[in-house]
Amino acid sequence: MKALQRRTLLAATAVLATVGLAATAIPAQAAEVGVTATQIKLGMTLPLTGTASLGYNKIPGAAKAYFDYLNANGGINGRKINLVVKDDRYVPTEAVSKTNELILKDKVMALLAPLGTANVKAVASSVNPARRGVPVLFVNTGFSGFADTKKYPTTYTVLPSYIMEAKIMGQYIKEKFAGKKIGLLYQDDDFGTDALAGFKTAGVNFAVRVPYASGSQSAAAAAGWITKFKAAEADVVILFGVSSATSAMLGTAAQLGYKPQWMLGSVGGDATTIKLTGVPAGVLRGAIGFSPVPATTDMNDEYVKFFSDIYAKAVPGSAFDLNVLLGMNSAFMAAQALKAAGPNPTRKSLMAAIDSKGATFANSALVPLGYSKTSHVGLTGYWVGEYSVTGDLSPIGGTYVTYTTDSGSGAVVKSTYKRPAMPAKGLPN
Amino acid sequence: MHKSKKQSTHLPLFILVGVVLFILSNFIEELRVSQGTTIAVYVIAISSIILLTGYSGQVSLGHGALMAIGAYAAAVLRLEFNLPIILCFVAAVLAAAIGGLLLGMAAARLSGPYLAGTTLALAIGLPSLANQFPILGGEQGREFKVGPPDFEPEVVAAAEPLTFFGNVLSILDKLQTTLATGAWPGASPMSTYKWWFWIAALAALISMWTVRNILNSAYGRSWRAGRGNEVAAQLAGINTARSKVLAFTISAGIAGLAGALLAMSIGTVSPSAFPLALSFSLLTGAVLAGITTLGGVIIGSVILVAIPEIADVVAHRLGSSESVTTNLPGLIVSGLLILTVLFVPNGPVEQHRARKAKHEAAHSSTKK
Amino acid sequence: MQLLNTLLIGITAGSIYSLMAIAFVLVWRSTRVVNFAQAGMALLSTYFGYEAVSRLGSFWIALPVAMIGGAIFAALVELILMRLLVKHASSGPIAGVAPIIATLGLLGVIKSVVTMIWGGQDLRIVAPISNNGFTINGETLVFSPLKLLVLVVVMVLLIMLSILFQKTNLGLALRASAHAPEIARLSGVRVDAVRTLGWALAGAAGAVAGLFQTVNGNGNFSPDSIEFSLLLVSGFIAAVIGGLDSLLGAVLGGLFLGISISFVLMYVSSGLFFIAPFVILLIVLFVRPQGIIGVKAGRRA
Repeated sequence: MKALQRRTLLAATAVLATVGLAATAIPAQAAEVGVTATQIKLGMTLPLTGTASLGYNKIPGAAKAYFDYLNANGGINGRKINLVVKDDRYVPTEAVSKTNELILKDKVMALLAPLGTANVKAVASSVNPARRGVPVLFVNTGFSGFADTKKYPTTYTVLPSYIMEAKIMGQYIKEKFAGKKIGLLYQDDDFGTDALAGFKTAGVNFAVRVPYASGSQSAAAAAGWITKFKAAEADVVILFGVSSATSAMLGTAAQLGYKPQWMLGSVGGDATTIKLTGVPAGVLRGAIGFSPVPATTDMNDEYVKFFSDIYAKAVPGSAFDLNVLLGMNSAFMAAQALKAAGPNPTRKSLMAAIDSKGATFANSALVPLGYSKTSHVGLTGYWVGEYSVTGDLSPIGGTYVTYTTDSGSGAVVKSTYKRPAMPAKGLPN
Repeated sequence: MHKSKKQSTHLPLFILVGVVLFILSNFIEELRVSQGTTIAVYVIAISSIILLTGYSGQVSLGHGALMAIGAYAAAVLRLEFNLPIILCFVAAVLAAAIGGLLLGMAAARLSGPYLAGTTLALAIGLPSLANQFPILGGEQGREFKVGPPDFEPEVVAAAEPLTFFGNVLSILDKLQTTLATGAWPGASPMSTYKWWFWIAALAALISMWTVRNILNSAYGRSWRAGRGNEVAAQLAGINTARSKVLAFTISAGIAGLAGALLAMSIGTVSPSAFPLALSFSLLTGAVLAGITTLGGVIIGSVILVAIPEIADVVAHRLGSSESVTTNLPGLIVSGLLILTVLFVPNGPVEQHRARKAKHEAAHSSTKK
Repeated sequence: MQLLNTLLIGITAGSIYSLMAIAFVLVWRSTRVVNFAQAGMALLSTYFGYEAVSRLGSFWIALPVAMIGGAIFAALVELILMRLLVKHASSGPIAGVAPIIATLGLLGVIKSVVTMIWGGQDLRIVAPISNNGFTINGETLVFSPLKLLVLVVVMVLLIMLSILFQKTNLGLALRASAHAPEIARLSGVRVDAVRTLGWALAGAAGAVAGLFQTVNGNGNFSPDSIEFSLLLVSGFIAAVIGGLDSLLGAVLGGLFLGISISFVLMYVSSGLFFIAPFVILLIVLFVRPQGIIGVKAGRRA
């Protein structure tokens, strides 16, 4: 009897605890969720802590730096942008629960720049922003699948896909390094699998392929990779990994006097990040690099200059690297989309604006955006450059050579795209 | 342990809780329903730790990996063979139990720190296998869709949350109307989260009921005997090695169920959903619950889910800097873990019971 | 050449695992606890070292500073946390797991606090001597003066600790306290103080591991750098392979683990980084449950 009483008490406590957590919803009149007369609320989840957070944890600061600048200069039609950021630790379970909070509790209008393929997939599958009508702007991954408008109708990608990159690299190899022995370092997961698919489409044969488990990249591991490339006598070594892998590889190569022709993928090819890890600038010299955006060190570029000035004021002492540039670029594009969505933006009008005008949005990238009524593909190509004496990626011979392609079997073509000039004061027009 | 003498299985109580949860799920906000699912998953996973550690005295830092086995088994069977959901969950239990059996056989030769280290290495190593076999879908994982049949689009309306007491009152109010009229005034529309919560809560009740009755059976007693004094238990005719392997197998099976439910709640299964941190938080939850108190799992689970929100509130109150705010949840969890082990080592429920027993003993002795 | 380099890579990695394994063994011997916060302590000591380098400008001054800092911190952990643990949680069902749980909690606390103080970004300590590989007959080896130094430091530490344990009264007290605390106490050994000393020695060894791990890589470290979680797992596995009770075993276990992982990555697949240690550990536990140099009593602690 006594035991039963205690159990009932326990159960009752549990039930009460659940009730306490509960909060019933009373619908209120509003033009659109997350939009009031004075502000527009956007939400972002990404790793702020944990092993995957390094580098990416600068993105919220970067996006906020631009939004603060925008808000100080009148916002979007008088509305200030309020960016709510939550830490997902790069764990899908957390990404789902934090996105739930953003949508159901904070009631954001749209999600901005979520990160990580597994996370975005989990959110799409369980939170289902599509069915809730919530736009997911500028997903921060090169996984080509998110451009599928049937499966992810409210999701917009921004980065060119890994497949596009590998195809363009493959084209360049065929043009410039025909007959050479090619080596490839790639991440042993989807990031690498996509790359392999792209290289296959481009018809590149490798003398040696070295996979590495994500998270295992270190100077010690790099010594092993180099030993493999040396044994296979590779002439050209492609580093298609994250920047910590590139840094480990180049740093160790310098110590071992290993000097093949390097070719760096865009994800791990940011000179600022690489040099900050202590890799001597000289090691980068002569390496071929690919990127959709200008080099983060190119202060002659109006966007880079503008963004780095704002960032230096907002987050003093923090290096202006690729993550910062991409974070600010996404915020910049989001601002234009909101402006284009009309005087009283709604989720629907926001997406309609990207569909109809997205391809013409000003942004720092040197390659065209692919948005249209039928496509949610963002950037569609890369420019090819060479790292200089100071280790900065710059156009070969002073002019940007850009290639565009798709994530399927489409050809790689040289592009004539001219980037629109930056709007006055960097504000959306 | 007077309760072990009772033969009652408390089935009516579990059914009652189930009915209450069902009614509640129709009246609370969607966000809380989804958190309820997470709580249910934790309840199951933590009860598997309590069975293993609290009763059979074995440590596992690798239950996250066993959850992954269950999750992958369910997802792959669903995708490749389109098995009914219920069979997927059963398969999750079996697959993880087999994993647990193998691990348990290794574990029977190990103890204490050796076991902790082996399971730790498993937690780190196993999820990375997903990239070695294409069927497991690599880093981005594979989808695991568990219904429900498509409902109307869920439109989220802007709303002001009520206060705590406001909530309780309004829910009691609605309950009263429901009981009086048999209708469901103001019941929330059907949603995916509600569906998942029903599945997870039902699974949690079934597994809690099962675990409770296993612990009160001869097996449970033999585990406790072995944990207390292995030699004495052996003298009493208990095969302690076999009894330990059995505990590991059952515990793993339950963890596998939790893993499949976790995969359901995020609609996918991927290696990053089962990080080392998951294994650690299960242990944390078990310690907060009281390592031998099955009923405490609810406390442990609610705390685990609530801590990030509490940390958020604390950080905002203090107006602290960004690096403090983001690291506060981690600090609170870890700090709470240490404090609990030091000052409430056997959990709040057990502590309260012990104090009461002491009090009563003192009382009766003075009477004499 | 490939074979030689693979071996050298394994030895270098293994020597750092050895340092960490030594720390595990020291704590295990003195208090019969596996300190899962060991990597966290190594991380904290590395920050001490970083502060010392940036203030005093020399790695050679920073190394002892970090060792002393690490030793003091570890001693405090023993004095406060471990003693409270013995007092409050040494009986009942929790007793078996309490130290594991407490040290895991400590790991979390250290990580959070370190991030709050120093931030999550990469910091950098530059290697004191060249990390450029030796060249023989025009071929550059995967072995440098710095890597040689790491190896020498491991050996020196091993020899010094062995002398301390085998040849001095203090060593006798350390051994006695671990194996027969009651008898030691009766013989006038201050068992508690000796236990604290065991932790302090481990803290210093962990500091050496943390600093050398950092400079032997590219010099960067952060609270979340993967190296430190690897240090935890690899160091622990190395200690277990070595038998958990023996310093020499810890060093051999570390080298064995480093070399076998290196060979697996080179000749099987470089993608097996995380699963390889687990498989190696399982094989060792099944083939030789008492470890390379272990007492025959087996694994029942």
